[in-house]
Amino acid sequence: MKKIFLTVLFVTSSLFAALNVDTTYSTLGAVAKKIGGDNVHVVVLGSSKYDPHFIVPKPSLLSKLRRADLLIINGGGLELGWLPPLIKSANNGKIRAGAPGFLDMSHFIKMIDKPASVSRAFGDIHAQGNPHYSSDPYKVLIMAKVIARKLEQLDPAHVTEYKNNLENFLSQWNGYLKNYDAKMAECKTKKVVQYHELYNYFLRRYDITNIGNIEPLPGIAPSSKHTLQLMNAMKANGVKKILQDVYHEKRTAKFIAAKTGATVAVIPHDVGSVKGSESLEGFYNMIAQRICK
Amino acid sequence: MVKKLTFLSLFAAVSLMADSELDALKAQLQEQQKTTQKLLQKVTKLEKKQQQAQALQAKKAKEQEDASLDAAFAKDTSSSFSQTSYLPDIALILNMSAVGRNVKNSDYANFAIPGFIDAPVKPELPYNKERGFNLNYAEVAMHSMVDPYFEAFAIFHLHPAAFEIEEAYVTTTSLPAGLRVKAGKFKSAFGRINEKHQHSWHFDEQPIIYKALFGPDGISDPGLQVQWVAPTDTYIMAGIDAMQGSNTRSFGDTEINNLYVGYLKSSLDLTDNLSVLGGVSWAHGKTTEKKSSDVYGVDLTFRDQLGSYSALTWQSEYLQRNKDTNNTIVATQKQGGLYSELVYQYNNNYSAGVRYEKITKNDTDLSAYTNNGIDTSNLDKYTVMLQYKPFPFSRLRLEYSHDRTKVIAGQRKDVDTAMLTLNIAAGAHPAHAY
Repeated sequence: MKKIFLTVLFVTSSLFAALNVDTTYSTLGAVAKKIGGDNVHVVVLGSSKYDPHFIVPKPSLLSKLRRADLLIINGGGLELGWLPPLIKSANNGKIRAGAPGFLDMSHFIKMIDKPASVSRAFGDIHAQGNPHYSSDPYKVLIMAKVIARKLEQLDPAHVTEYKNNLENFLSQWNGYLKNYDAKMAECKTKKVVQYHELYNYFLRRYDITNIGNIEPLPGIAPSSKHTLQLMNAMKANGVKKILQDVYHEKRTAKFIAAKTGATVAVIPHDVGSVKGSESLEGFYNMIAQRICK
Repeated sequence: MVKKLTFLSLFAAVSLMADSELDALKAQLQEQQKTTQKLLQKVTKLEKKQQQAQALQAKKAKEQEDASLDAAFAKDTSSSFSQTSYLPDIALILNMSAVGRNVKNSDYANFAIPGFIDAPVKPELPYNKERGFNLNYAEVAMHSMVDPYFEAFAIFHLHPAAFEIEEAYVTTTSLPAGLRVKAGKFKSAFGRINEKHQHSWHFDEQPIIYKALFGPDGISDPGLQVQWVAPTDTYIMAGIDAMQGSNTRSFGDTEINNLYVGYLKSSLDLTDNLSVLGGVSWAHGKTTEKKSSDVYGVDLTFRDQLGSYSALTWQSEYLQRNKDTNNTIVATQKQGGLYSELVYQYNNNYSAGVRYEKITKNDTDLSAYTNNGIDTSNLDKYTVMLQYKPFPFSRLRLEYSHDRTKVIAGQRKDVDTAMLTLNIAAGAHPAHAY
């Protein structure tokens, strides 16, 4: 009996010893796990099956934020529609914006597609630039370095472990990227269209041109007029690939595919969005595989 | 280097030739001297050139400095104390409607709900009152960090003929142990929708039981709130609002802060997509007659997330008030009612909903009605709505209600209302609520 009690006590105390790290999305969560190892307990707030702009602010997320020691957000305005009221109501001063336990990853990323002028007349655009940088496998290196630095700062007792984890991960990931680039060099797909500008960082990295988007403006549902224009542009440019995300309706993409002879590829936007993309490697492999196939 | 070379060659020449060919040697020496001179000339030339380049560089640097100074001088100093980057987040919310109703405006303004809103008390009707067009309000909402410890919020309601501070409060940001304190004028967290503003309700019309017990603004007062979130896997939140108690519908004794509201809320994720939120609330205050008045509330919300943009939400609430009065027939009024609404969000553009409401308990003195032969049973209401959102920041809603809770011009009258409302939110990004 005593033994059981002691074990329980030990288990709980070891649970408490781990740093609670919340990330808004799963790719950040996967990297945090690699760097944090056994010293952190990672919770991903937003399911990768849903539109990252529209994560449902379930009250259960409050209890997760309440106990977090570190909150890592994607930033760039992606969480603006759901996270601020949750942070406010979670009553956890450690992770409020500006506190040491709040990390905005977008500050470390060179953002692309920064709009010259900002107005809601252009749809749901982000003033800071395109926030969907997770599609580029090279961004994982930056995430890893930044997270390691932050963990070292918050948990000085385990600095050497974080440093070792980072070193091991970086060498592994650099090797992975070398293979990845070699694979991508043979990619036949050079022109695509996509539903939302979700994959621009990947496309730019590997010189694939995005001819247009299915949605006429960010956050605005497709219209027949815009769809027609897009199909004409696809025919003129010989586009044979439509990049579809997991959460938008797929009817429009299928319709366009049928009319233009292109194929629809469902591309994960975060780790775990589709079956087989549960690991970082699996996620990026699937992007490459499905775009290039 | 040059010298060394010269000596070396000299030495070589001497040892090789001895003194036999002196002339040739002299000639050679002259040659060497010439070369040395040439080289020395070259060195000075290079040195000069270097000096010139350095001077030019210095000149350039000075010019640059001057230019930047000039530019700085030319800069407008009127913005030295500019603080635009500290401006609060500002949102503008406009709410307007076109209303059709089977009751004349003048009659509608004097309606009664038996036992709740009785003559000579008139209902407050700030929204959608007139048949035809209504501008309900322009709301200005502001939010800003004050410092590392406080966050400030203000919501101003501008009605066509009135300016109202709907809410203005500060909250703490850095208290330990899951605590947060709010101070100022605010809406109490009693029940499910008391805290929410009119434009974030699922239906434009306020649930009858809320309207009957608290009026259109709900429990909203100057006060102090303390909320605590438990450090548990399951969401548990407990809070107390100490308020002035100015709401005359149920309370009204403001001699001192007389209203205390306590609540406990919890939420569970039953599956990845299905979640439930429940709460119990209790408001204890004093009426204008200095008597005790208690309102109890139970609320339950199920939300099934069918996709990113599609969900089914079932939200219900029951409120009961026990109020002591000077009435000799029924000294303690016991009155209660419920609403239950089902909203189906089809995609990010369309949603539809139905709501049923009923006054379930009305133990009070109803003699003013029954003596005049007015039936006070079966007080209920049916509402349906269809909503179209072209974009998350604008919303068109068509709502129809059949209301059987009203007494108008001395008799029960079923009120049918159809309205089309437009709500827009411009400026700072409004967050989506659960």
